[in-house]
Amino acid sequence: MLSEPLTLLLALTALVLAVFAPAFHYHQFGEASRMARDAGLSAIFTCGSALAVFGAIRAFRRELETGTFEMALAHPVSRSGFFLAKAAGLFAAYLVFALTVFGAAVTIVIGATVAGRIAARTGEIATVWGPCLASGVAVAVVPLLVGAALNRFWRFRFVLTSMASALMLAIASAATFSFLIGTGALARLAPAVVLLAVYAALLASAASAFSVRFAANAAASLTGLVFAATLPFVGNYYMAEALSHGGSVPWSYVGLATLAAIPAAGAFLLLGCRFVRDIG
Amino acid sequence: MNDSEDIVRLESVEKTFRDFWLRPTVKAVDGLSLSVRKGEVFGLLGPNGSGKSTTIKMILGLLSPSAGDVRLFGLPPRAIEARRKLGYLPELSYLHPFLTAKETLRYYAGLCGLKSAEAKERTTQLLEMVGLADVAGRPVGGFSKGMARRVSLASALVGRPELLVLDEPTSGLDPVSTKEVKTLVKALAANGMTVLTTSHLLADAEDICDRVMILDHGKSVAEGRVSELGTSLEDFFLAKVGDASEFRLAPFLG
Repeated sequence: MLSEPLTLLLALTALVLAVFAPAFHYHQFGEASRMARDAGLSAIFTCGSALAVFGAIRAFRRELETGTFEMALAHPVSRSGFFLAKAAGLFAAYLVFALTVFGAAVTIVIGATVAGRIAARTGEIATVWGPCLASGVAVAVVPLLVGAALNRFWRFRFVLTSMASALMLAIASAATFSFLIGTGALARLAPAVVLLAVYAALLASAASAFSVRFAANAAASLTGLVFAATLPFVGNYYMAEALSHGGSVPWSYVGLATLAAIPAAGAFLLLGCRFVRDIG
Repeated sequence: MNDSEDIVRLESVEKTFRDFWLRPTVKAVDGLSLSVRKGEVFGLLGPNGSGKSTTIKMILGLLSPSAGDVRLFGLPPRAIEARRKLGYLPELSYLHPFLTAKETLRYYAGLCGLKSAEAKERTTQLLEMVGLADVAGRPVGGFSKGMARRVSLASALVGRPELLVLDEPTSGLDPVSTKEVKTLVKALAANGMTVLTTSHLLADAEDICDRVMILDHGKSVAEGRVSELGTSLEDFFLAKVGDASEFRLAPFLG
């Protein structure tokens, strides 16, 4: 899944959103958490949901249509086990994606914080764009350059190395963030990201189950119906507003929301196991 | 030979494909019985659409028979224990294009339950054997058809199978590679491996098979040892299946 160009495309889109979305809002430099919330969480929610759904559909349908699924089932593996392992792999790929985008948002916040401090000291608003843009460009370009260099000189694979570099940059950003701004803001953002991952897992399980039985378009439409049916509850998982004005999402709430999502995701996974047993 | 030495056994097997409304569309296999014995190279021959691939897929547990019984090592084909002893080369090379040759073999070794060190050793050994050691790090999506076929063949052997199922093993290979595959199959059979193969290429089948069964319209029309046919396999095949072309050329040619 991580080797797929689709993953890189969605990750790049999310990074671009995370980098440039703050520029289209009326943010004041210094509102670091708010920028991370608006740019990072919305990118994780929109592109992450797309990755969860289309990644699942693409992974299962392509395997079924090209025969690699059949090849795997000819080996000594349980059908349900193979389906669940693939679904788990998809979720792991999603987590890499979410962490990367989260890290990108955090990198932007570092740039904005530095810029805010410079502006406060010099009083010149024009100087704030330098660090902000530098961090944004670094987030979007550095992983690609690293991937390209490793591919050019050592024949490492571009998509995998770019994603790995982006992830490492994300971790480095989070560490820098903790050092510059403190762990409080990170600790407040983390539960919100976990909630989005839970909702993405719900959508991915539905998409995985439907793609085993139905063609890609039908599977996407049925997952769309699941999205429409859960739309009234999406607010329970997209808790961006809760982070305003120093607020946070309690971990007890995250636990409750996860418990609420488990029966639905479990039902979809059981349906997928049933569908995969019926193949042939 | 008694029944206990039958590696594969089909009894009165039928397979009818159905449409969305469960109406029968085609009967691909019709009352087929066969057995493949330990250590032999068994050829399943027949024209296009005769039910060879459907039969193979039922033996592999990828399709369920509509009627009859299929046994693989005395077990239902979907039993994990039965498939542990099986290697499968499909008609088309089904490979993940973004995985390298080495990763592909490691992936299938993992599915066969090989431990990491053994998988690594087996992968190296098989890539050497099929002549792809130099390109082991390249994604298989960029491989030629012949190279992809070699990767598939290595994948089929990665779990040290007792039964090797080959669906059109020489399909898409040049004459040199075809000869290598035939030599390999003979060597594996000489080492005690049971081989079940399908082929359109009768000369290839004649070279490697001990026993053949000819299918036509899902039914067995002949079965016997190649050495006892008394004629070339091609003549035998045409006598059983008929050599009348389904093309109606006369009106076209005037």
